[in-house]
This record gives sequence, structure tokens and C-alpha cells, in this order.
Amino acid sequence: MEAIVYICLAAMLLFGILAVMHHSILKSAIWLALASASLGVLMYTMGAVWSSLFEISVCSGLVTVIFVSAISLSNTDKGELGKLYEDKKRMSLLPVVLIAGGILLFAAAALQLFSVPDAAPAAAGAEDFAEIFWNSRQTDILGQMIVAITGSVAVVALFKERDIL
Amino acid sequence: MTAQTEMFMLTAGLLMIMAGCYCLIRTYHMLKIIIGIEVAMKAVTMFIMLAGYINGRMGLAQTFIITVIVIEVVVAVVAAGLAVNLYRKYGSMDVRNLRKLRG
Repeated sequence: MEAIVYICLAAMLLFGILAVMHHSILKSAIWLALASASLGVLMYTMGAVWSSLFEISVCSGLVTVIFVSAISLSNTDKGELGKLYEDKKRMSLLPVVLIAGGILLFAAAALQLFSVPDAAPAAAGAEDFAEIFWNSRQTDILGQMIVAITGSVAVVALFKERDIL
Repeated sequence: MTAQTEMFMLTAGLLMIMAGCYCLIRTYHMLKIIIGIEVAMKAVTMFIMLAGYINGRMGLAQTFIITVIVIEVVVAVVAAGLAVNLYRKYGSMDVRNLRKLRG
């Protein structure tokens, strides 16, 4: 299990950084999908089966489709994009920032400036996902529904070509 | 899972948040900004899962993760819609064009 966790963590970090650094938006979207997939595998390995399913299908699938649709609706020339945003030049310092940040974080951990508590054993039989999701956290479901409806209405409002009412 | 592995997860997550924030600060492309937000959100999702794992309450953590995923998708959809409209109006997805909007 430990080996899979380390591999997924490394893959997620690498794909995340590539998504941010790559000057092509389409490739960035693909790297982001791979980062999501790595996170999904990490979740599955740690026992969060239901959320890993959502992560892989929604974040890795749907969000990528949204990005690709947005990219296909705006067909700017690749050369022009590079000149306009200068992303290659602007993002060139990111590896330096991350290496410095990583060294600082590892130094802080080595000096025990911050630490994480030991994992508690899972409560026996008490953590049924369906029971918590449908009964204990009903307000969350209501909130999710409102957010989803708001998003749909916002998209309709953004793309309307004439008055709806 | 050992405390060392949890520490690595925490560090990797913080580095991802750093990468996302750097992207937010440095780029002007609307879709790239959404990608930066998404990268930081991946780390937040992982932190919630780690918290659930440490406390032995994975069921509760999963419900929060699903809520975060729903919010993440809606943010991506609305921001992508804004980006497409920005492109239709100005011919580019440069966020600096948003300052020119009136009313």
C-alpha cells in the first residue's frame, strides 16, 4: 500500500506541476486529468472508494470535457497564444519556487515545527458512507443541489442569445 | 500508513497549492487560471481525505470530498463559460480585458 501511495503522490504532484507549467492549454487540461486520475487511485488505495469514483468520473472526465469544449470554441493560433501570454517565460521560475518551498517544508518537518498525529483506527462498523451521506449530512446534499442548479442557470444566462422570459 | 507517509502527503499537497497559487499570480489566460484553481483544489481534496484517514472517519470525509467535487465542477463550468464569452467579445481569453467591461 505504501508504495502505491508514494507513486500516486509523485504522479499527482508531477502532473499538477505540468498542468500549470505547460504553455499549451489542451495539454495542460490533459495533465490535469491525469493528476485527477492519480488522486482517484490514491483515494481508492486509502479506502475512499465512493469519492474515488466521483473523482475519476467527474474531475478526470467531465472537467476535461468542459476544458476541451472551451478550447475548441476559441481557436487561437498557438504562436499567437505564446506571444500574447508569454506563459513559457512567466512560468519558468516555478520549479525554483517549488524546490525552495519543498526544502523549507522538509526542513520544517525535520525540525518538528509541524507534525501530523498518528492515524486512529477506523471506528468499527460506525462509518457507513451511505448512512452518513443520506441521513447525517442531508443539508450538504441540499447545498450541492442548490450549487448545481445555480451553475446550470449561470451557464444558461452566460450563453443566452435572447430573453428567456 | 506511517506518519512519515502522511507527512509526505502533507508536503506534496502544500507544494501543489503553491503551484496553483503561482499560476494564479503569474498567468493572464482565463483557462490557465481555472487550471491553477483546480490544481490547488486537488490538494484540498487530498487534505480532507488525509484528515478522514487520520481520524478514522473515512465515511464523513468522503461526503465532504463529494461536496468539494460538486463545487469544483460548478466553478469550472461557470468560469469556462465566462472565458468563452470573453473570447467572443474581445478575441482573446486575457483576463485584463475584464477591466474594460462596463455594466
